[in-house]
Amino acid sequence: MASNPQKTNDSWMGSRLARKEDLRLVTGQGKYISDIVLPRMLHAVFVRSDRAHAKIVSIDTSAALALPGVVCVVTGDDIVDELRSMPQPVLLPNLPAKYPTFYPLCVGKVKFHGAPVALVIARDKYVAEDAAELVEIEYEELPVVVDPEAALEPGAPLINEDHDDNEIFSMTFTGGTTQAEHDANDKEVEEIFQNADVTIKERFRVHRTGLTPMEPRGVLCDWSDSDGLTAWITTQRPHIDRLAIIDLLDIPADKVRVIAPRDQGGGFGVKAPFFRENVIIAHMARKLGQPVRWIESRYESLMNVGQERDQINYLEVAATQDGKLLALRNRGIADNGTGETGVYWGFVMPFLGAVELPNTYTWDKADVKLRVAVTNKACLTPSRAFGHFPTRFAIERAVDMIAHKIGMEPSDLRRKNLIPHLPYTSTTGEYYDSGDFVQVWDNLMSHIDMAKFREEQQAARSEGRYIGIGFGTGVELSGMASEVLVPMENQPGYGAASVRLDPRGTALVFGGDAPGGQGHETSVAQIVASAFGIEPQDTVTTTGDTATTPFGSGTIGARGASYFMSAVHNACVEIKVKIARILAHDLGISATLDDFEFVDGQVVLRSDRSVKKSFRDIVERIIMHPINMPPGEVGGLEATVYFEAAKPMICFNADFCTVEVDIHSGEFKITKWVSSEDVGNVINPLIVDGQMHGAIVQGLSNTMFEEFIYNDQGQQLTADFENYKIANAADMPDIEVTYSPSPCPHTPLGTRGIGEGRPSSVPGALSNAICDALLPFGIEITELPLRPGAIWKKIQESQA
Amino acid sequence: MELAEEIRINATRDIVFAALNNVEILKQAIPGCEALEATSATEFTATVVSKIGPLKARFTGNVTLVDVIAPQSYTMVGEGKGGPAGFAKMRTFVHLTDEGESTLLRYEVKADIGGKLAQLGGALISSTSKKLAGIFFGNFEALLNGERAIERSSE
Repeated sequence: MASNPQKTNDSWMGSRLARKEDLRLVTGQGKYISDIVLPRMLHAVFVRSDRAHAKIVSIDTSAALALPGVVCVVTGDDIVDELRSMPQPVLLPNLPAKYPTFYPLCVGKVKFHGAPVALVIARDKYVAEDAAELVEIEYEELPVVVDPEAALEPGAPLINEDHDDNEIFSMTFTGGTTQAEHDANDKEVEEIFQNADVTIKERFRVHRTGLTPMEPRGVLCDWSDSDGLTAWITTQRPHIDRLAIIDLLDIPADKVRVIAPRDQGGGFGVKAPFFRENVIIAHMARKLGQPVRWIESRYESLMNVGQERDQINYLEVAATQDGKLLALRNRGIADNGTGETGVYWGFVMPFLGAVELPNTYTWDKADVKLRVAVTNKACLTPSRAFGHFPTRFAIERAVDMIAHKIGMEPSDLRRKNLIPHLPYTSTTGEYYDSGDFVQVWDNLMSHIDMAKFREEQQAARSEGRYIGIGFGTGVELSGMASEVLVPMENQPGYGAASVRLDPRGTALVFGGDAPGGQGHETSVAQIVASAFGIEPQDTVTTTGDTATTPFGSGTIGARGASYFMSAVHNACVEIKVKIARILAHDLGISATLDDFEFVDGQVVLRSDRSVKKSFRDIVERIIMHPINMPPGEVGGLEATVYFEAAKPMICFNADFCTVEVDIHSGEFKITKWVSSEDVGNVINPLIVDGQMHGAIVQGLSNTMFEEFIYNDQGQQLTADFENYKIANAADMPDIEVTYSPSPCPHTPLGTRGIGEGRPSSVPGALSNAICDALLPFGIEITELPLRPGAIWKKIQESQA
Repeated sequence: MELAEEIRINATRDIVFAALNNVEILKQAIPGCEALEATSATEFTATVVSKIGPLKARFTGNVTLVDVIAPQSYTMVGEGKGGPAGFAKMRTFVHLTDEGESTLLRYEVKADIGGKLAQLGGALISSTSKKLAGIFFGNFEALLNGERAIERSSE
């Protein structure tokens, strides 16, 4: 392994420290959910629907039950009276929507290809798989709805029959809260469009694609009459899962413990919802009095989760002839799938996508409306770039189309319209707290000589080669303040951490979130080491166990560096205040925390550096020898701190890429990719680089390759990695990540969370580069994915 | 999946049409047919083993003949369940035309497949269907000429 660089400036903050967790992960010592084996453990396999929409006429389980080793086979009818249906209040956003009622197993009918119809539990996984194949289900088919626009037509076949149409959610995001205010706003927007020099109107379509974590889902539940339920779940939000299980299974609150395994093979949002599978496994473990485990197959995973994007945006933009953006109008239609997952219900993602539509640009006015349709597809699950991958593709393409129309450099048009000063509240009401968009942009542009590139482009065209450059920008939530997360997901936004010092001078940190590979153990250790002047290896971090960690809403929405790390830091400061008070008392001086420096394992008096005590000695003294204490002080060194930022926070990025397109085949090659990031103060640049590379690659993979395909019968045709192609290393360009950070004023360390939205500036940048290359053909890309065949067809059409 | 083809069969139209309604001949001609029973003049139950791509499935289902115009045409409507492999629904229109002493048989198949069959075998359905149809009519003609079916399996 590469040696670690030394810390800089007496602080581990900003060090490229190799990740503490990597040694065990790359040497096979990680402990994932499948590595947890309990005595008497049973294995569960779901029987899933091969129809997209059908009544369940009958289920014959006799052949499955007859197989030796099978313990039981349960169906929806077996469990309706034994547990509560979803939704339950803890799983509902504070948003008005037509929430479907559903059970862990389908009752009465199936609504998508892959829906769980029955559960087989056996003493052996292989027996369970064999038995699942013997369950015979008779269906009576119902009309299938796979097109979101058709789903919203009057008289379309109903999917969730507890409601009178397929529109699960709709909202107007601009102008105010009443109909009269919306109407007045829409009229003003219309006036701007009537009087504008230039307008564009386009239907932008982004396909269904998302995330495929390396480790699919899993649940292991153990029941004991004395201690209740212990559930290991691959999850990003164990504390919310715990509350949901308590409510759904009516188990006393002190009898449920949820543990997200320390090692999880990625989340990316996919493991953030509360899933129906959790409930039935927990229920069966209680009912059978034996541990029950379900490990999702890749096939099931691709059928059920990781599906997002999938929107149509009818977007209009008005601008002046000299390139000032004036107004935007959008009618979004999102394809929700069934809506059967807790917390998000599918539509919360397109909801945020609409909120984030204005992106980094100033608009005088906007008229943004969204309708979300239920269809016979798997429910959308969050995938990094939560909801706004399609809207950002649309807005970034629209900006270029305006530039093409008025003959302006797209980069100049962007800079002219970037929000010049923060804080700023967008036309859809999103608060941008701090940073400097223009500085980040100018840093990006310092990596390209536009005049020279245009010369090269002209020269290439004269040789029949087509090269182009494309830009994209993105503003992302950096964590979510309670004032955002409570209405959006009915959950608190604060970050929480407990820091406990050991008498030997090491630190234990406990957090209620549940990371899946982001490097929390390393980032936490760097913060603690910097705070106490100790070494990073002297900190051990525990996350994800509801029995030992303070409440957290989960590893979601870029809450790591923004909220959780801030709580860790503040807890360290609280402990340092106590150490300083007791040390001053022991030294017989009048001093507070500011008078001491924690460095190199010592606590040093700043005014006389010969006065010092080793960190370990003072910690041991306070914990083990709490006598002769200052008045009112007691022993022990532990603090639990909840951190809530004063304002919702953001981070920001801008990208460009260059491409060369082969006009004879439509194939294209990305020749350069450069990004400029404002991520605030960086805890570990190695980890941030990794986040950025991963996010850009994910954006490219979604844009170029990945696509979940349903045919007109609702059959999901992409349930393996042969048919659902994701990018591999050879498909990807070199990526140059550059930084232009401004410290966040609302976090104690100036950090910003970065894990969420980054991929969504990618499809716009890449499409813009291809359109720039093909400008002589006048091609404007409005649909993803970007396949060579589709580009070739557009070239042919333009020449016809 | 849609498939349409014409085949010239060396027999008169009456003989061909009768054979198309003859359970014993159909049973021998259908590749992978394990059972075929008439439950009425126009209804059958069938068990057929097929291999499509990586999947081998035993389909059980019903076939009904509708719009029967003897000795000219009928439409065969069938639905088969292949257990964990998925399911298939099929509608086949068969039309016969005299061509001297032989008969021109035209068929149009529209099939919907679902489940793993559609997912894993999707790309192979069309070619497999063509192959199976070819085997069927090869057998069918051989049987009409008093010979034994040549190919019995789809593998």
